Amino acid sequence: MNAAQLADQLRRDNHFMKDVTRWEVLPARPARTLPFPAGMDERLKAVLAKKGIHQLYTHQTHSMEATARGEDVTVVTPTASGKTMCYNLPVLSEILKNPDARALYLFPTKALSADQVSELYEMIEMAGVDIKTYTYDGDTPAAARKAVRQAGHIVVTNPDMLHSGILPHHTKWVKLFENLRFIVIDEIHTYRGVFGSNLANVLRRLLRLCDFYGSHPRFILCSATIANPEELAETLIGRPVTLIDDNGAPMGERHFVFYNPPVVNRQLGIRQGAVPVTRAISGMLLKNGIQAITFARSRLTVEVLTRYLKDMVRDPLGNAGRVRGYRGGYLPRERREIERGLRAGQIDAVVSTNALELGIDIGALDACVMCGYPGTIASAWQQAGRAGRRQGTSLVFFVASSAAIDQYIVNHPDYFLKKSPENALLNPNNLYILLSHFKCAAFELPFGEEDGFGNAPGARELKEYLEEAGILHRAEGRYHWSAEDFPASEISLRSASSENFIIIDITDPAHHRVVGEMDRFTAPMLLHENAIYMHEGRQFQVEKLDFDACKAFIRSVETGYYTDADLNINLSLLDVEKEEQSFGGGTAALGEIKVTALVTMFKKIRFDTHETLGFGHVRLPETDMHTTAMWWTVPDRVVAMFPSDRLKNGMMGIANLLRIVCPLYLMCAPTDIAVVYQVKSPITDRPTLILYDNCPGGIGLSEKAFGMRDILLGRALQVAADCSCEFGCPSCVGPAGEVGEDGKKTAMRILKEMMP
Amino acid sequence: MNLRDKLRAVGGPVRAPAEPRPETAADCRHLSEIRPLTEFPGAEELTGETLSLMTEKEIPPRLDPRKILYLDTETTGLGGAGSVAFLVGMGYLTDRGFEVHQFLMRDYPEEPYLLRHVAAGLEKFDALCTFNGSTFDLPLLESRLLMNRMDRGCLRLPHLDLLHLCRRLWKLRLGRCNLGRLEEVILGKPREDDLPGSEVPQRYFTYLKTGQESLLTDVLDHNAQDIASLCVLLNHMADLYLHPEKIAFSEDVYSMGRALEKTRHREEARRCYALARPGKMGTEASRALAVSYRRGGDREEAARVWREMIARRQGGAEPYIELAKYEEHVRRNPAEALRLTEQALSLLSEPSLENGEAVQALKNEVQYRHQRLRRRLKERNA
Repeated sequence: MNAAQLADQLRRDNHFMKDVTRWEVLPARPARTLPFPAGMDERLKAVLAKKGIHQLYTHQTHSMEATARGEDVTVVTPTASGKTMCYNLPVLSEILKNPDARALYLFPTKALSADQVSELYEMIEMAGVDIKTYTYDGDTPAAARKAVRQAGHIVVTNPDMLHSGILPHHTKWVKLFENLRFIVIDEIHTYRGVFGSNLANVLRRLLRLCDFYGSHPRFILCSATIANPEELAETLIGRPVTLIDDNGAPMGERHFVFYNPPVVNRQLGIRQGAVPVTRAISGMLLKNGIQAITFARSRLTVEVLTRYLKDMVRDPLGNAGRVRGYRGGYLPRERREIERGLRAGQIDAVVSTNALELGIDIGALDACVMCGYPGTIASAWQQAGRAGRRQGTSLVFFVASSAAIDQYIVNHPDYFLKKSPENALLNPNNLYILLSHFKCAAFELPFGEEDGFGNAPGARELKEYLEEAGILHRAEGRYHWSAEDFPASEISLRSASSENFIIIDITDPAHHRVVGEMDRFTAPMLLHENAIYMHEGRQFQVEKLDFDACKAFIRSVETGYYTDADLNINLSLLDVEKEEQSFGGGTAALGEIKVTALVTMFKKIRFDTHETLGFGHVRLPETDMHTTAMWWTVPDRVVAMFPSDRLKNGMMGIANLLRIVCPLYLMCAPTDIAVVYQVKSPITDRPTLILYDNCPGGIGLSEKAFGMRDILLGRALQVAADCSCEFGCPSCVGPAGEVGEDGKKTAMRILKEMMP
Repeated sequence: MNLRDKLRAVGGPVRAPAEPRPETAADCRHLSEIRPLTEFPGAEELTGETLSLMTEKEIPPRLDPRKILYLDTETTGLGGAGSVAFLVGMGYLTDRGFEVHQFLMRDYPEEPYLLRHVAAGLEKFDALCTFNGSTFDLPLLESRLLMNRMDRGCLRLPHLDLLHLCRRLWKLRLGRCNLGRLEEVILGKPREDDLPGSEVPQRYFTYLKTGQESLLTDVLDHNAQDIASLCVLLNHMADLYLHPEKIAFSEDVYSMGRALEKTRHREEARRCYALARPGKMGTEASRALAVSYRRGGDREEAARVWREMIARRQGGAEPYIELAKYEEHVRRNPAEALRLTEQALSLLSEPSLENGEAVQALKNEVQYRHQRLRRRLKERNA
């Protein structure tokens, strides 16, 4: 049975359809093409002709034209729309015209760089020209590095390597900096939050050096579909971009099926697990010979599903090999082999983590099954984009887990299907991040009296501050680096604070290994002694937290519970930036606060039922963090409506709803924001609901939330109204045990009062 | 809250403001001293030919020892674009003795003057001698010239990096070969009251803040001493290369043999191996000597050494195997080859502490040879 036939059959299957919340058919779309742009190099045309390409898709031609006009462009098109040509063609044309020209490619991950280089190699080889493309990352052998620095026309790297391996040593890269024509950044939607704020500053440093060497590179940026690609791109590079989103690639008919596993325990609101349902759907696709990819959120789930599917087709002929797993931790060679097998149709089913979500070329498949919501709409569309041939029907199944966010998506499919409302946010001017990169910049090239740092505010104050701190030395109007440290080694681009805790797995006494890191503000909550720490779907228990040495030692365990630290948070006001009357008589404000956090105890909570099994004590010092926040004061009228206990329960319910809704609209991880309710807040001296960026300095989430605060409250109300529970559950206001029997009702009434 | 207060909150408190500095002059500070030639035995007799024993770099054979520049830098950090060479010392021989000239930037604006002195100095010489200059001092100077938009051509002199040359000679015996250790062990002159290199940057930063030049006295002394040591060390090495019989340690003579092979001086290398054979590197030296003869096409001499090794019970199975090859292919004596192969096999069967896999691979190879020889003899007898 092919995909179209299976779709027909499923739609007539009442048993299956009763749990389908939406079946959406996206109609086929024909190709829109344009001739090659005028003046395109004949050698490139010949290569494309050999590949059977005689015209370009509209977005490809338009991006070539825009770059030829000297504009910075941002290309936004879905997976498998020939996006890489949008940058490879302009870059190759430029190098063919001027053999000294250089280009820098940035990819968020190493795997992706490897894939892009092999595609470039192929085109260069077919053209028979001498264009050297090299990958420069942690894996590049020392012996090869010199050649890359001297001779590489196209240097492929990642932001981390650019930050710590290239910019601080720019004098070894004279050829690159003097002749840099293009900076290509793919997958820019992954550069949000702290990572994006860091990259924006790395680019400020890069452009500053280009200025020194006299080059003026143009940018070609690519993004998956998000709400604000232009804003994201412009914030990243600090200058305007031309948006190219007229996707001309053809697409066959696509069916989106939203599946919510049936409720098995009505009282507790427990549903059938997403994994067994996914297993059944992927198994059905496999049996019908429909080539499919299944996405799971953890590596462990990937392994479980892979084993099940393999067992289903295992026979003496070795057919189990037609099912493969794919995730981080597999060797590069193995990954390449799986990618080839997928393209060649030798593999029928692959189960993957989001490792395959980024632009790695595996061709187009017939179907995609998502076991759980991948966290953002952009990721979900990228995963869905793995299914969808240019002709013929394809199928996408979204299987919801019982997590609040999954339930929201499966009950509001329009949120996913209509124009994506997610904003990728970043804040290049986060003071912690800015200060760190400003130091790196001063190390790389002394600052003059009048020199700015990209469009960052306060360059003068930064210089003066660093001079007072004895890190910069001012002489004759220039600020020179005068400290022993190597500032780039003090920052990790993927977290905001410079003092990170490292997490060490000591399960195997002979082989301690570092499995991750965590910023110092989160560490007391998740890494206190006896905390259960989850890593790659496995459980670990924290055996020791060495606060001074910033190290946590964990050991693998199997328990039926997780831990939740009781965080004692004190907020104090530093500064109010904006204050406005909000609906219902309260005020809404945006400003800066100091968060003092102290963890004193933790709860052990059983998986599935979420009942509290016990408590433990924690002894750790306080931590301080300055960050941005927005807050609502509760209108007097509302305060007067309820007894104080009920008011508190209702407000705690609203806080919980906002914790669910905000990550969806602000495109951040649930842990990136914090929402608290204070009966008598030290910030306002009144009952107040406070939302803040859970990262030192803030990454722009509170600002955005302030701007869309009424929408957020509206969505919160909608989540509560749509939830099928009676008295509250973790998917809406929180369980009745926490917010009381009337918590849900009160929360909804207050929300109605606080909204237009 | 203004930005300044926020910065204090984010970045921590600041120290007291720096003292105001007087305007800097239009040159950097220049210090010089002359050390008597007696401290540098043999320095005036050094020739390009001797140097070419030590390095594979192109050295003019008629190189004048006065045309060698000894250079060392003191820097503000360990590398990267933000590290600056704030002091560059250069030493060379003249009629008056060993002259050491030091150029010190008293503040960052003096850096271009310092670099101009260095570039002008380098122009006058035919060869450069440093300690770890190829990975540290020269790339750093190159980076500084580039940052000051100055020509970097002056750095393209033939370069003797003593760290590499010393490692060839002494790593086997000493392990780490830093300059302090070489002065102590090789030259027999341990340094007293020396400023540890790791404290140099902080000294300079404190000087920048306070303007007290006396803080730099130790740094200047340390640098001058480093430069003098370069010259002493180079000439000491030259003497040893010319007279390997003076070397007291078997490891060092053997190492010199290996070093001479790198610079393609086969005869001199063999002389070292021969000298090292009675010592504790006897086996290695004998083996290296035999291999050197074999590579040079002198199979007879090689066989003689292998035989001597057997007589001295050196080298385990290897001399038997090598002799077996010689008997089979050169002497055309398969019977003798077979006998030697059998001896090698019996040696290989003895319990050994060595890597099991490597021994097994060797054993397989010898067994294969053994079978082939037996077949060949059988065919011949048939």
